[in-house]
Amino acid sequence: MVPLRFFLTAPWFGVLAGLLLVWSGEDAFSSRWSLPLLAITHLLTTGFMLQVICGALLQFIPVVIGSKVPYSPWLSIFIQPLLALSALVLTGGFAAGSPRLLVIAASGFVLGIGIFAGVVILALWPRCQARLIQWVVRCSLISLVVTIMFGTMLAASLFRGTHAALNPLISIHLIWGLAGWALLLLVGVSWYVIPMFQLTPAYPVWFKQGFLGISLVALGCVSFGWAAHATAWTAGGESALLIIAALHALLTLWLQARRRRKINDSTLLFFRFAMVCLLTFALAGILAMRFPALMDRPDFAIGMGMLALVGVFTSVIIGMLYKILPFLGWLHLRLLNAPISEVPNMKGMLAETAMRRQLHLHLIAFALLFAGLWLPWLVRPAGLMLAISYTLLSWNLVSVMRYYKAFRNRLKETIPIRTDIKHGE
Amino acid sequence: MSKACVHLIDGRNMTPPEPLERTLQALACLSAEFELTLLLYCRPQPLFDILQQSGYVWTESIASDGTHTIVIRHHSHECRG
Repeated sequence: MVPLRFFLTAPWFGVLAGLLLVWSGEDAFSSRWSLPLLAITHLLTTGFMLQVICGALLQFIPVVIGSKVPYSPWLSIFIQPLLALSALVLTGGFAAGSPRLLVIAASGFVLGIGIFAGVVILALWPRCQARLIQWVVRCSLISLVVTIMFGTMLAASLFRGTHAALNPLISIHLIWGLAGWALLLLVGVSWYVIPMFQLTPAYPVWFKQGFLGISLVALGCVSFGWAAHATAWTAGGESALLIIAALHALLTLWLQARRRRKINDSTLLFFRFAMVCLLTFALAGILAMRFPALMDRPDFAIGMGMLALVGVFTSVIIGMLYKILPFLGWLHLRLLNAPISEVPNMKGMLAETAMRRQLHLHLIAFALLFAGLWLPWLVRPAGLMLAISYTLLSWNLVSVMRYYKAFRNRLKETIPIRTDIKHGE
Repeated sequence: MSKACVHLIDGRNMTPPEPLERTLQALACLSAEFELTLLLYCRPQPLFDILQQSGYVWTESIASDGTHTIVIRHHSHECRG
């Protein structure tokens, strides 16, 4: 199971983020540019999110597009540790205020993501029925490369000590990362998985095509505005991105309300919470564009970051992990050619109560983080709750694998199983 | 043939992997001269991988409402287009 290494490593970055917040305390929330906060942000993005997204793409592409990702076992063996190590070095660079470590980490990301994106884009080459999702994944990966390119420029600027024009560079790095990489992929994957797992009506085709088109034009406008110092272009692009993000959140909530079977599982609740956060983020962003002084307030700017990372992206990712990993375990037991009566039901691989418990901890951590913006004594408890929540996530994911291995061993003892399953299948 | 064997599975209101589980159960008792029809709103790529490995053949068509109709039978009664 190729993506497993990515999935099982990822939660520990969340644990580290929580522990770093416990260690740094209220200093982390003193400014949106505080070094502990930058370290925590990158633990969640380049650590947790990047690990899961890379692993999920290796699983998602063969299922949706029908073509296998070449060399995927090698990507798991070499690229996964490289990306994990780079994320740790980056965190160390921020925590210690060392530009040298930032440059080393950036080099690791350039190498790792360069190879990963190249291989995955190659796998996306053949035309298939799901052409729109094919384009979304391609554009998202290109956005990730652009994000890392801007991140590398930032690290190089800090290393050389040329701090003059860092703010516009940070903004463009952030927009390509959040809107181009993470949001585009989240939205594109939602078009596929929400109707399938939550039994909702399909997203309208006009919306899907419009979302992709407007996202790309808006990112182009923001980039042109940055390069030509034309603030009107930047503002126009940012407004368009916020509006389509809000529309996606509203449409998803509306579709979820119209689902054909009213199953309220944890994944649905994670997605619903994420969509409420996305809508709030978009409204807060529009407010900040009308009143730019708001972004100078640490509570407002950090709150926006919390909404995006803890509220939207990590929530959706955790919700998806709870679908992907039990399915992978179940599918691989099936691929052993065991009789259907011998293979456990997928729902039996991870109890709903275990997922629900972790969802509650995630929501409590989010609430404490937000409260910590105004009640500094809550920052450390918030960090602790974040660490506990990710520890439980890790426990849940590992328990799926333990269940899988126990059944696999039992099957091995009772029936002749296939031995030609390759690691990459 | 057992009474429990089904020849039509409407998986459009089932959450994954229930359609896949039911399809594999139905295939386990599908006689060579019969077909199994599966209705879904998505393309079940993992099922196709299993079918290919297990020696089944299938046809697939998509209706205007997005329903994928997959007709499966044993390889000896080939129908794959």
